Amino acid sequence: MIPTPQSDSARLITPTMLVLWLVLATVPFWIARVGLYPYLGIEILIWSLYALAFNLVLGTAGLPSFGHGAYFGIGAYAFGLCQFNVVANLWACLAAALAVAGLAGALVALFISHRRGIYYAFMTIAFGQIFWTVAIKSHKVTGGEDGLLKIARLPADFGFASFDLAGNVAFYYFVLMVFGIAVIVLWRLVHSPYGRVIAAIKQSETRAAHLGYNVWLYKASIFALSAAVSGFAGGLFAMAQLAAFPDVMSLHQSGYVVMMTLVGGGLVSFWGPVIGVFLFLIARDVIGAMTNAWMLYFGLLFIAVVLFRPEGVAGAIMAAWQNRSLNSMRQQGGTALRLLLGGGRWR
Amino acid sequence: MFDLLPHILNGLTLGLLFALIALGFMLIVGLMEQINLAHGSLFALGAYFAMQLMGPRPPFPADLAQSWLALPLGWRYAATLILAPAAVGLVGIAIEFCMRRTYGKDPLYGLLLTFGAAMVIEEMIRLTWGTRDYVLQVPQAVNGGFIFGDLIWSTYRFYAAGIAVAVIGLVWLLIEKTSFGATVKAGAHDSEIVRALGIDLTRLRLLVFVFGTMLAAVAGIIVAPIWGIRPHMGVDAVIPAFLVIVLGGVGSFWGAVVAGLLVGLAVGLSGAYASEWSLLSMYVLLVAVVTFRARGLWGKKSMLEA
Amino acid sequence: MKRREISRRSVLKGSLMASAFAGTASYFGPWKENRVWAQGAAKPIKLGLTCDASGQYGNSGQDDLRGIQMAIDEANAKGGVLGRKITWITADTETTPATGSRLAERFITREDCTILIGAVHSGVANAITQVAAKNGVIYLNTNSSAPSEAGENCSRIKFVWDGNGTNFSKASVANAVNSIGKNWMLLTNDYVWGHTTSAATKAQVEGAGGKVIDNLLVPQNTRDFTAYLLKIQQAKPDVVATAIGGDDIKALREQVAQLKLDGKPAWINNQQDWPDVWGSPGSLFGVFGTTWYHKLALPGVADFVKKWQANNKEGSIPVPGNVSYNGYMATRELLRAIERAGSTNNVKIIKELENLKVSATDRMQHFDAYMDPVTHQMQQTIYLARRNPKPADKTDLYEIISWTEPKAVADTDAQAKCKLVPYEQVPTVDS
Repeated sequence: MIPTPQSDSARLITPTMLVLWLVLATVPFWIARVGLYPYLGIEILIWSLYALAFNLVLGTAGLPSFGHGAYFGIGAYAFGLCQFNVVANLWACLAAALAVAGLAGALVALFISHRRGIYYAFMTIAFGQIFWTVAIKSHKVTGGEDGLLKIARLPADFGFASFDLAGNVAFYYFVLMVFGIAVIVLWRLVHSPYGRVIAAIKQSETRAAHLGYNVWLYKASIFALSAAVSGFAGGLFAMAQLAAFPDVMSLHQSGYVVMMTLVGGGLVSFWGPVIGVFLFLIARDVIGAMTNAWMLYFGLLFIAVVLFRPEGVAGAIMAAWQNRSLNSMRQQGGTALRLLLGGGRWR
Repeated sequence: MFDLLPHILNGLTLGLLFALIALGFMLIVGLMEQINLAHGSLFALGAYFAMQLMGPRPPFPADLAQSWLALPLGWRYAATLILAPAAVGLVGIAIEFCMRRTYGKDPLYGLLLTFGAAMVIEEMIRLTWGTRDYVLQVPQAVNGGFIFGDLIWSTYRFYAAGIAVAVIGLVWLLIEKTSFGATVKAGAHDSEIVRALGIDLTRLRLLVFVFGTMLAAVAGIIVAPIWGIRPHMGVDAVIPAFLVIVLGGVGSFWGAVVAGLLVGLAVGLSGAYASEWSLLSMYVLLVAVVTFRARGLWGKKSMLEA
Repeated sequence: MKRREISRRSVLKGSLMASAFAGTASYFGPWKENRVWAQGAAKPIKLGLTCDASGQYGNSGQDDLRGIQMAIDEANAKGGVLGRKITWITADTETTPATGSRLAERFITREDCTILIGAVHSGVANAITQVAAKNGVIYLNTNSSAPSEAGENCSRIKFVWDGNGTNFSKASVANAVNSIGKNWMLLTNDYVWGHTTSAATKAQVEGAGGKVIDNLLVPQNTRDFTAYLLKIQQAKPDVVATAIGGDDIKALREQVAQLKLDGKPAWINNQQDWPDVWGSPGSLFGVFGTTWYHKLALPGVADFVKKWQANNKEGSIPVPGNVSYNGYMATRELLRAIERAGSTNNVKIIKELENLKVSATDRMQHFDAYMDPVTHQMQQTIYLARRNPKPADKTDLYEIISWTEPKAVADTDAQAKCKLVPYEQVPTVDS
């Protein structure tokens, strides 16, 4: 189970969330002064949401999914196609992104939820590749490798007022608002009775089955849920980029979200994926501008983290701030890693 | 409507190449229960080393380079087929030395370690040779085309398929018919007995791993003239290799060979009808098989699932 | 083999040095200095160069960059434009639309670039255009030749400098249908340039009374063409027309040459870019189009080649080709247009470029060239070439077999497809 102080896990909004939101809300005022730009802030928030959704599968349920970019991408296409062919309404199209990606996830879950370990991992890769290829090849629908262009940032109509999101700063605040709500929903989900069953299944499928839980159904549903939220983030990403491109669905980019989540410490902390996304995207922008080989350094960091510091950055922060033992965090991270692929019985 | 036979033949040769690419990967998975994700990068490294050896600037001292370049192309090629895999074998030794810390731990550690190694090797390739494509020279004898059934066929493709058959056969003989193979197999499944027999298990594992990496390099050299040499070729190879192993079933030699042929046929035949979709066919094949058979075609129970 | 191509890193260093020499800000922290410049007149004009350094068009993107840099250096040597220095920044767009989109955002909002230059892949060009249009930033599409770039994907802020698939088809197809045969097969790279170019070829073939018996789509980054070559042999067309680019066409050419399929059927390669030809000079065959060649017998060409070589001693390509040429011409004309406009206001520059006319001498081509004000595509001489049987030196790979004047190959349908937004709707940009 993901550890949080008992009081926090019962809360709707935790102090960490409040602090994070406040800090994020000030970003447009100073981001240019540190040499970055608002658009980067938008990408970071959207990827954070995507990585949090991904971590439902990886961290919470302990299922090795290596083709998650597919659902992020499907959401982006669904958003664009809804805008062009159904109705140019922000809420309807974001709902469409959520629903279509969730359906795709549910469909895949049907095929993979009775598999484990390496076979599970490779099935997720295979489905990811299938969706990716279909996206590239269906020119008439998706625009193929050129992407689905001319997606507009639709105005946010709240009934009493409507906001134009075309500017990067306005869109940033919209994404921040959505991000805030999504964080609350995911937090409650992870700490609900449902989330606790998922965590129990991660520890041992057999034990959970003996306790009378339908393991298959839980595994399938968490995967579909994760896909749906990933797709929702994808819809936002389509607005950010003004287009939907197939390359987020590729194996490489699916690998990035795994790396971000693991480096950030998604296995021990709810906030791990967010930390990983911040590190990865800022490093890509700053170091990537100076050297072509920046993936080499991030790769080495990744190996070091998984081999020696499985608790990730989040684990180190929690150890320092919340007075928890670093060693216990490390053991916890190591155990979680092992459960991912090797299964508990080999310890 | 056109004749399907050429496309079946094309698929079979392609399938043999897939099997060849998967061979070293399979040995390491089957005998050591380690997933070597650096397999693709070692495959690429083999091709780059061979290209450097066969190119106008071989990596030798000046006088040696002179006499090397004076050799006929065929001789140089034959020597390269041994030298390049040997050099890649050295890289394999280095990886194995890092990896031995993870033996006895979970296989995931090896997987992540080799994933990192793969990234490092690929970036090194980019730094050394740049991002451009290279071409591997091959002797005239296996170059060009020949006419068969009214169609011109690439000689090299059949040569490559022939080499694949030979290498697969040799590896099978080595594992099934020699005492070395027997020891290795025993070591994988019950290391205590092997140790009790007084066999150096550390050395045995090193040998298996290096053998697997050299096979990756051989595959890289053989496939390079067909796929071209570029930094991304490692990723292009490791995914089908992994797929072939999962499809055939972890731990099954003939499962992998049959899976390779099936994947080749699927790609070749779909290429005849809808060439732009042909790459999809291998994933559909995998989904179709693994949905119904928990461990691929002939997989054995292994610690890679739980 | 040891020779390294220009990496993004060294290019960035170059740009750092350039900006340091110009007495401008360092890479980190351009914001403060900008405030200071805003009051002074000496603030440099900053260009964002969106050139691929990796992926299918990595080689071409870097050749494009060499031409662009040359034009900038020439302008700076003359004291800049409007008395202001030109600085630039570049980064690898990776032949990936999403990367192009992100870098365009960064160049405009973080690096304060007021003009973007550079494209080979039309998907990347499209993605950049969207971001540039949103911000009112002028974008020069130097080398991406999809007909749609000057048709449905045209934009008020974008100018297209290469001849496109329709231009090349018009120059080559009708003639080939009559002289070679009526049964055609198309090999098409599976993205917007391939699709629109093959569509143009198909229209030309059918217009001349020929028939397209099949159109095979080739995924980007294909290296093994065996299945396609088998299908071509089974179908026995008279002509195979390809719209395949970058490293893919190099691989195809090698495999065709290896099987000696380069004689029959006849091959027409819509456009061959010089970096792709130079990468594999042994396997050049068929008839193909280009906009420029370094051995054209025209005044100024030899001097241009010498200057280019002096600038690029270390490069992997020994002489400038059409890609570098397009990059150079686009940038030079832009800088001249700024000078003529007497202002860096974007709409004023756009109006100057829309009325652009360049004499044949100035273009180092056979005919005068002009910018089509409706589609924003440069109308220029189109050359057809084939392998040179009697090369004068090792770079002399082409035999130029024809040149056609711009009017004769103009894409007449493009004007109806292109809808430019009115000037008032372009956000104002001034550097």
